Amino acid sequence: MPALLSPRQNHLLAALPDAEYARLLPGLEQVALELGLALYESGGPQQYVYFPTASIVSLLYVMRDGSSAEIAVVGNEGVVGIALFMGGESTPSRAVVQSAGHAYRLKEDLLKAEFERGGPVQYLLLRYTQALITQMAQTAVCNRHHTVEQQLCRWLLLSLDRLPSNELTMTQTLIANMLGVRREGVTEAAGKLQAEGLIQYSRGKIVVLDRPRLETRVCECYAVVKRETDRLLSGRRQSAEH
Amino acid sequence: MIGNSLLAAVPRKVYARLLAGLEPVTLNFGEVLYEPGQAIRHVYFPDASLVSLLTLADGHLALEVGLIGREGMVGIPLVLGHHVSAVRALVQGSGTALRMASATFIKELRLSLPLQRELYSYVHTLMAQISQTAACNRFHVVEQRLARWLLMTHDRVKSDHFRMTQEFLGHMLGVRRVGVTKAAQVLQERGLINYSRGAITILDRKGLESAACACYMVVRDMHDGA
Repeated sequence: MPALLSPRQNHLLAALPDAEYARLLPGLEQVALELGLALYESGGPQQYVYFPTASIVSLLYVMRDGSSAEIAVVGNEGVVGIALFMGGESTPSRAVVQSAGHAYRLKEDLLKAEFERGGPVQYLLLRYTQALITQMAQTAVCNRHHTVEQQLCRWLLLSLDRLPSNELTMTQTLIANMLGVRREGVTEAAGKLQAEGLIQYSRGKIVVLDRPRLETRVCECYAVVKRETDRLLSGRRQSAEH
Repeated sequence: MIGNSLLAAVPRKVYARLLAGLEPVTLNFGEVLYEPGQAIRHVYFPDASLVSLLTLADGHLALEVGLIGREGMVGIPLVLGHHVSAVRALVQGSGTALRMASATFIKELRLSLPLQRELYSYVHTLMAQISQTAACNRFHVVEQRLARWLLMTHDRVKSDHFRMTQEFLGHMLGVRRVGVTKAAQVLQERGLINYSRGAITILDRKGLESAACACYMVVRDMHDGA
């Protein structure tokens, strides 16, 4: 295992006041997340929540016929396993590692106990939930109205925002599954971005070369989601410090 | 008898206290309760009314991402600590609802653990509906989605007749009007609905259920389970 990353590389954990963070710390366990690993399956049990530090987890909605579409990406801005504290029924979604790396996990009972205290942990998790809802809704409208290229740009930018580096380990098949489109569509869109020097794609690695230009190619959906995520953390500062 | 399921599910004592802050209102078709980016002034607990949550793109294209009736509440961001709506909330079925001023609601929510639990669990159900809608939009043809949408509306308005313009349906389904016309024609030719001049009549509910994608059953089961 590489050098230990601090749990505070996850923005939610970083946003916690010291007392709350200290209470959670003994229960936080670093785990390596391999590409393609399913953290939970559709309808299956969830024993942990995961706070990614340098990895990205994709939330996929699974249809009854087995096909799936990405509904949100979670990285160092968030947490995987909302169902555990919201107390809902299990849902038909899978959480799959989309960019390999690390995360900290926390046992269900520890998180629930902290959530029920009703303090800053609850406040942050609820606010994150709202940001996640916005991302899901925006993904829905983006899937409906925007081109594969725009969606690919959105996906790349959202992913980069959630990672400490500007490099993604990714296959085109995986991207196609995420976006719920044919692989050829992704190949074409990625090829175009590469020909124009915005990204470099080789052997399952995507490096973003020209982020400002990538931002001019993306649909507004990216900005909507980014604004919500930024607002989440700015609200925290006011509240956590009372 | 309490018409809204969330209000019906909280302990009587909590409900009695909430009642003081709840005001009966009639919501009219086409009325906008929230706009994206605007502060939320009231939350709504529909009983006979129906409210659509729409996400906007490029200023004019819309898409329905959630549908709220007697099983839910409009104003979820307040439950999650936000005071601003990210979506447009549009009345899609006229009828009654109980509403509460945001400040009162936040105060009551803080005081009542049972109310919090009820609403958190509802939020989770709504998230499932949103994500399911996203996937449905991706994979299913307009005709299946129209059938699904008519069934969801039928369940909530409890009437076989309702009014819907094609433009409105286009926003709900995220397609152009011609797409709506074509899909409605297919359902009409199969004798499942009658659609003329914006008036929809459900003729064959069972048939409509088999014309809809499986998503309809998934969402219905979620709500029944919640």
